[in-house]
Amino acid sequence: MKKTLTVNLGGTVFHIDEDAYQLLDKYLSNLRIHFSKEDGGDEIMGDFELRISEILSERVRLGNEVITITHVETVIERMGKVEDLFEYNETSYQQTTEQTTTQEKEKVSKRLFRNPDDRILGGICSGFAAYVGWDPTPVRLLLFILMFFYGIMIPIYFILWLIVPMAQTATEKLQMRGESVTVESIGKTVTDNFERVAGNQKLGDGFMQVLGVLLKVFAVLIGIIFFPAILLVLFVLFIVMISLFAGGLGGVGLGFLYNIMPSTNWDILLSYPEWMLVLGSVCTILLIGIPVLVVLYATCSLIFKFKPLPKGVNWAIFIIWMLALGANIFFAVRYGIPFWGEWNKWGLNSIHLPAW
Amino acid sequence: MNAENVKSQMRKGILEYCILLLLKKESAYTSDIIQKLQEAKLIVVEGTLYPLLTRLKNSELLGYQWIESTQGPPRKYYKLTEKGEKFLGELETSWQELNNTINHIRNN
Repeated sequence: MKKTLTVNLGGTVFHIDEDAYQLLDKYLSNLRIHFSKEDGGDEIMGDFELRISEILSERVRLGNEVITITHVETVIERMGKVEDLFEYNETSYQQTTEQTTTQEKEKVSKRLFRNPDDRILGGICSGFAAYVGWDPTPVRLLLFILMFFYGIMIPIYFILWLIVPMAQTATEKLQMRGESVTVESIGKTVTDNFERVAGNQKLGDGFMQVLGVLLKVFAVLIGIIFFPAILLVLFVLFIVMISLFAGGLGGVGLGFLYNIMPSTNWDILLSYPEWMLVLGSVCTILLIGIPVLVVLYATCSLIFKFKPLPKGVNWAIFIIWMLALGANIFFAVRYGIPFWGEWNKWGLNSIHLPAW
Repeated sequence: MNAENVKSQMRKGILEYCILLLLKKESAYTSDIIQKLQEAKLIVVEGTLYPLLTRLKNSELLGYQWIESTQGPPRKYYKLTEKGEKFLGELETSWQELNNTINHIRNN
């Protein structure tokens, strides 16, 4: 007794044994990997599926209700094993010959990729582990420990996250581990629905990817260049807001600011309208807070398997963020310029935190 | 260097030419093309043909339309385009030249 599956192949429904299905699926996946590199790859795959479906229909008409592994083997024999097709392409086409020679060069070279299959954040550690041939866990542990002693490791991680590509195709995954790219090894790497063939993505996904990249760039910029400055700005804005809500900027609020950074002329703040100070503070907090929260949420959803936010919410957050960005640029140009001279004095050494 | 290898290279070299020649006479289903090429021992497995046809189509040498079939789903019906005919003309000349060269070498 064998379990059977129902599949739709080229628009016809077949009952197929489980082992036969696996063989056929592997065969088609291998072909897809090979043909996805060239123009009209989808069409070629469509032709293959249609033809296989034709041959199998013939079997069904002859009275075989279920497609067995023998049938699939005959089909593969008839269509040609992947190796034969590969070989054909290599010798017949100049353009493909060029491709295969570069492929052969790549066979020996190992490349650093981010590993999408085994990751906690960006897959840097596990990609690096694959590159040097270690186990990912000690690499992660090492990085974690290093982060405590050398804070620079944190921005380095984010930079790597940005610039190291993710291994997406089977070929890239094999290169990540430095295994040779052969039909057999690709077959081993391929699992169901794994190969993301380009062109299947929806526009919204593309947009979210762009948004993701923007957020990453932003996070990295914050992390490396602006972090101390931004912390300072946030802190000042926080004081300003609290004092405004408490009944005016003068007195306590300014006194406090003068206490921390005596060299800055805080009286300039008094010359700005109050609504501007409040709006500016809110916008800045949104501008910085949203990406931080989004990154936090994304991290948590990776670890605890939350559902991702609905698309509408994502859009709304993005629009709010863009508005805050616009408002901030406006405020910076309109009101920030008189402050310019003061910026130079904002060295970290000019801060004297009160002893609380 | 073995003879089989060289022979198969030669066959592969003229495959496009033969496909265009077949379609010059009459339009045909993919399976007809395959059958004729297999009879001529130009191809062994069917799989070699699909990428080839798609490439020829992408280079606008061939065109196709979907034709309903009595048994099963509709099938592609290939035919030569105008560009394909010009292309075939060039190949014909080239083939003639090759033929002459071979004969010339052989007879001297």
